[in-house]
Amino acid sequence: MSAADVLQTMYDSPLGTSLAESLYVYPLVEGAHLLSLALSFGLIVLTDLRLTGFIFKTLPVHILLHQLRPWLIGGFTITFATGILLTFAAGPGLVEAPVFPLKLLFIFLAGLNALWFELKFGRTASEWGTAAVLPAGAQVAGWISLVSWSLVVILGRLIPYLDSGY
Amino acid sequence: MSTEAIFQAIQNSSIAISLGQAPLVFGILAQLFHIAGLVLVLTSILLVNLRLLGVGLTHFTAPQLASYTKPFVITGLIFLVLSGVFMLAPSAALYAPNPAFWFKMKLFIVALAIQYSLYRKVAAAENPQRWLAIVTAIISLLLWFGVGLAGRAIGFMAA
Repeated sequence: MSAADVLQTMYDSPLGTSLAESLYVYPLVEGAHLLSLALSFGLIVLTDLRLTGFIFKTLPVHILLHQLRPWLIGGFTITFATGILLTFAAGPGLVEAPVFPLKLLFIFLAGLNALWFELKFGRTASEWGTAAVLPAGAQVAGWISLVSWSLVVILGRLIPYLDSGY
Repeated sequence: MSTEAIFQAIQNSSIAISLGQAPLVFGILAQLFHIAGLVLVLTSILLVNLRLLGVGLTHFTAPQLASYTKPFVITGLIFLVLSGVFMLAPSAALYAPNPAFWFKMKLFIVALAIQYSLYRKVAAAENPQRWLAIVTAIISLLLWFGVGLAGRAIGFMAA
């Protein structure tokens, strides 16, 4: 079963069809997907800018991670859930250009990076997070996160330009 | 001169025509700058408003957060206005009859007015009254996210 077949099946499902045909729900889901970026993307960028040393240099990293965590998780939950709904309503045209698969690849990379950061640095942040210069690995994780999530947003915006399904 | 006529005149202006003839990549860049501006403004305002509500990045005070995020808000607003004009001018006549566009502009003006009056005052106060901080945060969040939602509605109204 190809990716296009999967998308066709999703589109033909009651959820996909009713979303694609709805007058108000689809625009609201799309609006929530965009505006939730303020929580998900915006707050992860803020964290990355701290890790890479651009802002909030006096703010201990473990405090930043701890205080933003519920908002980050909440934001990503909205962004992901609405993204899955939009995929149901998209149809097979979504994979005619490589932009959506590329977007998924960078989400995967960003996710792996976040997992690696969490396991290697996140739990011990109270030990290293107050230093003026952070461990190189934490800085690298910040850069990888910054670049990959930015690419995810850019590629997402390119979908309607490059995919014929729209 | 009616609004429609003014918007038609904007669209027919030589600047708008040359903007409209720009390669597609510039149109895409304008869209990306509009999103970047949206994230800069919304995330900054969100941080300060969450703090006014007593949650979020409570390590800092609201005045500290407001001051740290000020350059991001200004940069974001510049991105939003410039890219917005770039997107609007070449097809201004299409926007004139669009109710979502006008609703967005009204909300935007109210949001800006609140941002530089009530919000600025409350966010700068070391110890604002609790109820005032909460009311200000709710008004600010509703207005700015409302601007974004109304903006997203423009394309659906036109379709």
